[in-house]
Amino acid sequence: MQRFILMGAAAGLVGLSGCYSGFDADVNGFGGSSDSNGESDGDSNGNEGGDSDGDIDPDDPASLCMDADVGPTSLRRLTAEQYDHTIRDLLGLDGGYTAEFSPDERIGAFKSNGNAAVVELQVEEYMDAAEAVATDATTDLTVLLPCDAATGDACAEQFLGDFAMRAYRRPLEAGELDRVLAVYQSGKDASDGDMQSGLRVAIAAVLQSPFFLYHVEFGQPSAGDDVVPLGNYELASRLSYFLWDSMPDDALFDAAATGSLETADGVREQVDRMLASPKAQETIASFHQQWLGVDELEHVEKDPELFPLYDSTLAASMKDDVASFAQWVITEGDGNLQTLLTANVTLTDDPRLHELYGVVPPEGRLPGEPIELPADQRAGLLTMPGVLAEHAHPDQTSPILRGVLLRQEFLCQQLPPPPPDVDNVPPSPSPDATTREQFAQHTEDPACSGCHVQIDPLGFGLEAYSSVGAFRTEEDNGLPIDDLGEVVLSDVDGEFQGGVELAGKLAESEFVQDCVSRQWFRYALGRIETEADSCALDGIAEAFNESDQDVRVLLREIALSSAFRFRKGDA
Amino acid sequence: MTKRRTSPSTATPKRKNRNFSRRALLGSIGASAALAPFIPMLESQAGGTAAPKRLVLLFSPNGTLHERWAPTGTENDFQLREILSPLEDYKDQMCILDGLEVIRQGLGDGHQKGMACLWTGNQLNAGDFGGGDGGSAGWAGAASIDQAIADRLGNVAAYRSLEFGVQNGGASNWSRMIYAGSDSPVAAENNPEAMFNRLFADLGVDTSELERIKAERRSVLDLVHADLESLQNKYSSSDKAKVEAHLEAIREIEKRNDLATPTCEPPMQDYGLNFDANENFPAVSRLMIDQMVMSLACDLTRVASLQWSRSVSQTEFSWVGAGRHHDLSHLGNEDNTMVTEITAINQWYAEEVKYLLDTMAAIPEGDGTLLDNSLVVWGNELSRGNSHGNHPVPFVTFGSCGGAIQTGRWLTYDRVAHNRLLVSMAQVMDTDIQSFGNNDPGSGGLSGFFT
Repeated sequence: MQRFILMGAAAGLVGLSGCYSGFDADVNGFGGSSDSNGESDGDSNGNEGGDSDGDIDPDDPASLCMDADVGPTSLRRLTAEQYDHTIRDLLGLDGGYTAEFSPDERIGAFKSNGNAAVVELQVEEYMDAAEAVATDATTDLTVLLPCDAATGDACAEQFLGDFAMRAYRRPLEAGELDRVLAVYQSGKDASDGDMQSGLRVAIAAVLQSPFFLYHVEFGQPSAGDDVVPLGNYELASRLSYFLWDSMPDDALFDAAATGSLETADGVREQVDRMLASPKAQETIASFHQQWLGVDELEHVEKDPELFPLYDSTLAASMKDDVASFAQWVITEGDGNLQTLLTANVTLTDDPRLHELYGVVPPEGRLPGEPIELPADQRAGLLTMPGVLAEHAHPDQTSPILRGVLLRQEFLCQQLPPPPPDVDNVPPSPSPDATTREQFAQHTEDPACSGCHVQIDPLGFGLEAYSSVGAFRTEEDNGLPIDDLGEVVLSDVDGEFQGGVELAGKLAESEFVQDCVSRQWFRYALGRIETEADSCALDGIAEAFNESDQDVRVLLREIALSSAFRFRKGDA
Repeated sequence: MTKRRTSPSTATPKRKNRNFSRRALLGSIGASAALAPFIPMLESQAGGTAAPKRLVLLFSPNGTLHERWAPTGTENDFQLREILSPLEDYKDQMCILDGLEVIRQGLGDGHQKGMACLWTGNQLNAGDFGGGDGGSAGWAGAASIDQAIADRLGNVAAYRSLEFGVQNGGASNWSRMIYAGSDSPVAAENNPEAMFNRLFADLGVDTSELERIKAERRSVLDLVHADLESLQNKYSSSDKAKVEAHLEAIREIEKRNDLATPTCEPPMQDYGLNFDANENFPAVSRLMIDQMVMSLACDLTRVASLQWSRSVSQTEFSWVGAGRHHDLSHLGNEDNTMVTEITAINQWYAEEVKYLLDTMAAIPEGDGTLLDNSLVVWGNELSRGNSHGNHPVPFVTFGSCGGAIQTGRWLTYDRVAHNRLLVSMAQVMDTDIQSFGNNDPGSGGLSGFFT
């Protein structure tokens, strides 16, 4: 444990603030970044605190943090992906209802609509989507209704009561069903008593209610307590959006109703069930695509003259490649972080991506079966074409973008932005200089080198991958690749040759291990961790380590942690 | 209850957004002869009532080249140089505001602050933009001037304001310039077809059908309104503010739902293009300009903005023989490619502005035109791309706003805070704003421009 506390403090959100003068460490906005230097870890985690009221349960991670704080969670709206998945699970309708939504906000690497308030345009977008869903849902009432439509209002009431409960992800409160039924009635009245119209309008109303659109959480009020447990249904929703990227199913609602989510064992049982469900694939895909920045890869354009193979279809395959690889490791493989970081495998079925990888699928391979990639060229997530293409310019590689990805997303070290007046345009590709030579100014000019010695040498090590992530032995100008890199400010410092060696280093790094658990924590809660979460984070990191870095254990421990099951109460 | 639910892999794929009302509405427009030429129907204004004042904000990114932007000559007798030369026809209707400084205090890099301060004149909040770019600031800390003006104008048109955008990019402080308030960025609509549906879909619909849709929406909005009110008092601070912002939006939509559909001819447009594709940037620009002008002409709104791209724009200007904008903008002053292509890009934007002005000037209102009754303000988040400078940021205004502004002038200033321009814009629009934005509190208006 102690090792992790120390490591967490070192590898956590330490702003690399000293890397150029004039940068104020406090401005990066990450809670805990300026004071996570270990002063407070020793006593704030509460683990050794035997002075509590004797409820410590060795099987309940949250009980080990009972005296500790948790970071505040703000009122968040569903992301577009969550909206679509929820509509699918609510009504069996697949598809694209969010295509015209304004973009989601990001918190860290992850989409989470937790800061900005909505404006009129977005509310109109919700109106349009709800009306479209409601129209589709009511095209065939025999499919929609659990009862005979001929029984009229009684059947509509039965349906709407259940529908609204599931849409709000909790039992209805007094008066709520009446509100929905009033909309049903006026919808009917507006169309000469047509039941179908009434249902359509009532469904559209429920889907525009804040109880559908937001993750509404209050916690169970507990007088005088700042940190309160979530309500059972609130916890069920947190679990389902974390592990499924969608709403709870009937079994999870049942677990909330019977109170079984009030115990660690009950939560554990649900987590294990949910991770075994195919729906967990959604979360594995979303997490890895957002973490590695490839979730909007199909919008990334490349120079068509240099990379004629590349288009948005290939980009979509690259994005899927990241998801299917992570899904394969976590649900079919050993679930080990080291495997994610080093396995030389693809599962893509796209022949153009096979071509980019330079592999020919074995004779008789079935779609979705793993294909081994050259072990001297590919190792895990970092060397996937999607990740490398996203972190590159249209006409050249970018050691900077790749170095920043490693520093920020693999090591969780927040870099300051460049100084305000710096000329930070990449030099145009030159016929007689390597990428490394082109970026020499970064490490020669003292104004740049403070930060860039931490960034560029990481990215130089990935020079054997082109702007679209193809392996190469020569740069685009014909000069030989120099992919000697160096890691600094980590627990795996030292030189390395190429992406495969770098991936091997990352897989050995406790900094990376700790960072990945933080990233999942951010994804799970839709917020950045704060100092108040340190007890929970330390427990999660320890369990992850003890499991030999099994990501499935990591997810379970996050779900069991105090930060996940409790909430900072409203003032 | 589970019979209709399907697993992710087996659910029937549905096409997106088959919106029951809007599709039907569009269909009926197509069937009628409503897609007439681009001619407004403003009999009431043509009849002699004073036309309302309108405010239009324009944004193009990545700075300009001052030496090719600023005119030569004197205040009242000046010659345009390369970048503004497409606007020669409007020399008498413009004010070139030369020498303004966008004060940047507090958090954020040059582009972030340039963008968020442009129309707010205010510092940014702390924030979580901690992605791959190393960002360290949040959203703007206050409303932008157009929103402040719209608030004060109140309930004068169907929409408080309308935001049009061309390829603005994701939700970040590099890409949002309009703010309803602190932490409340207003995303512009980037999809011309969605904007058309929003603004014009109700036109040409059978009256009884329209009444039915409105009645349905009224009851839906009642429920949403009640639910938001029930949430409002259960939260405090920033969460409460989010609920209140949602409630405010619902109130606006409720009001609009109760208005009569304005008399208006929707612009004829060819949709279906990929509005995100770089090559369609010029086409989307024209579609948005047409709709913006029509929304002003029909009095759907008094306050509008059009944002071309975003700060750090990487639009590739192949149609003027230029490369990617931000990359180019950083090249050195002695670099001929930079000078030639940045000039061409900014000229292209000037041509778009000219198209907007041509369209506005073609719409008669009273004794003049829509342009005469408007104040159009064109700004940028930087002075110059390769310096990320905040002075002199290029501002040009067009239109006299009903005679309130003496146009045909080149006004020069020595690092005067642009907050004063924001104040003047508010005063031109007959609001009582005396200072705007914490970057230059208590400033008053811009001397010589409007008093």
